[in-house]
Amino acid sequence: MSAAAPSRHITWSRWRLLAIGGALVSLVLIAAAFAEFVAPFSPYDLDVASMLQGPSAAHWLGTDEIGRDVLSRAIFAARISVEVALVAVGVGLLGGTVIGIAAGYFGGLLDQALMRFMELLFSFPAILLAIILMASLGTNILNAMVAIGIIFIPGFSRLARAATNDVLRHQYIDAARTIGMTDARILWREVLPNVMTPLLVEATVAFAYAVLLESALSFLGLGAQPPEPSWGNMLNTGRGFMAQAPWLSIVPGMAMFIAVLGFNLLGDGLRDALDPHLRET
Amino acid sequence: MLRLIAWRLAAFVPTMIAASMVLFLAVNVVPGSAAKAALGIDATAQAIARFEHQHGLDRPLHVQYLDWLGRVVKGDFGVSFQNHVPVGPEVLSRLPITLELAALAFLIANLIALPLGAIAAFYHQRKPDTIITFGSTVLGAIPNFWLATLLILVFTLTLRWLPSGGFTPLFEDPARNLLKMAMPAVSLGVVSSALLLRIMRTAMIEVLSSDYIRTAFAKGATRNVVLWRHALRNALIPFLTVGAVEFGFLFGGVVIIEDIFLLPGIGSLVLVGIINRDYPVLLSSTLVITFVVLTANMLVDIAASLIDPRQVHAKAAT
Repeated sequence: MSAAAPSRHITWSRWRLLAIGGALVSLVLIAAAFAEFVAPFSPYDLDVASMLQGPSAAHWLGTDEIGRDVLSRAIFAARISVEVALVAVGVGLLGGTVIGIAAGYFGGLLDQALMRFMELLFSFPAILLAIILMASLGTNILNAMVAIGIIFIPGFSRLARAATNDVLRHQYIDAARTIGMTDARILWREVLPNVMTPLLVEATVAFAYAVLLESALSFLGLGAQPPEPSWGNMLNTGRGFMAQAPWLSIVPGMAMFIAVLGFNLLGDGLRDALDPHLRET
Repeated sequence: MLRLIAWRLAAFVPTMIAASMVLFLAVNVVPGSAAKAALGIDATAQAIARFEHQHGLDRPLHVQYLDWLGRVVKGDFGVSFQNHVPVGPEVLSRLPITLELAALAFLIANLIALPLGAIAAFYHQRKPDTIITFGSTVLGAIPNFWLATLLILVFTLTLRWLPSGGFTPLFEDPARNLLKMAMPAVSLGVVSSALLLRIMRTAMIEVLSSDYIRTAFAKGATRNVVLWRHALRNALIPFLTVGAVEFGFLFGGVVIIEDIFLLPGIGSLVLVGIINRDYPVLLSSTLVITFVVLTANMLVDIAASLIDPRQVHAKAAT
């Protein structure tokens, strides 16, 4: 049977995951924030004399079909991914928190109506809903942020509602009501600060998913539009040159993988560190 | 049991209607966008008005929705803006291809997730568990469309073992069909297996620590009998429920995978609808995908009740 291993080992393995996740996320965030300083070339500079060149001392990760430096484009693409993910997760977090807390706090018919609707949205394949919204809103990066944000609302709202229900069981809520605090004040002062921890942990994992969705939309031509570099549109362009220049398909995919893995590990590590109930499983 | 199935079927209808409403609203969230999209940004106001009148888009939104829904119920999915042919037959002819792809991918995901999840749980907090859990985290971080590209790079361009795309009907040449479906199904299935594996592991850990498993061991049952006969059955219930959600995600992924492997399924039709700004095509194809996903959820709900009769009694009590 599964013998219980020493808890110190678990703690170390969890911290190790958190550290790996943190390091990968830092790499992506540094690339996004300081792209101008980190990237060796401009992501838009054409050099037709060095088209489709493999990795070399001058271009560490090679050049693309019009001679642009692949490493520089991958670094600048991190900025787009992080920007989209930040806004999208912000939209989802804000919308989901408001809906979830309102449903949990006021209960009754409002709770039923809101949560049924959220469940319905949750049952749609996310990428499909994003594609439909993009078709209607128009294909550009701003709309990609909104579309991905809307997709996140149901998940955050379910979590916020569950956390609110948990908070409402505590005596300090009764005490707040007894001393005559208004609903708005209780929600702002007592409920909101106490539901934020699980929501912020979930936001880290949602960040990974946002990066993935943005890349998928850009891959399909619905997100960032060329010449703006995005990992998704770089990979899509690279597909046309797979035989001659495989690095065009490998580099953007690897960048996506690093970002998604980093945020997933960070999210998992934070969840384990902050929620002792989950640590055992 | 029959009452539960009837209840699930009855609940399915309003859910599907609500889903159709969400899809219809999402497509029409910006008024006039259908006409502008179909005619281009240079379209004159007159041309837009004529187009909207022609397609009934100048009526109130709820009237348009009810009219559309009424026709869909009768099997009429409307006519394509682009080539003016009925959309219904096109959608239905593509559906089997997507269903086959999703089924194969789901099978691959389960073949990976079930045994590895069970093994990880059995060796909870020991080396095999650490390796499998970390492996699933890595797998889950690979974008399926990148994996698809890498598979083409390795198995088509380098080794020349598999065709890069296209489709052969299953009943025309089963071997060729599977050969062409292999890479798309693996791209979708391998990545999807990550979440399923974690769910299986968690469910099994819970089951393995229960009293009846200890009793089974105490009565002298072998490790394999306990693991595969007693524990797996009980762990399957949460696994099935999450599996249905994952099936939905997987179905969403077909849009991108069908595009990469040139599969003429319903996912690639969604893209055709988007690229041509052909809203009847887009709406019909997404509605059919939603129908399949919600049906899968409902069937899993019923299957979970069949595996665990306690759920039926719990439902009856509420």
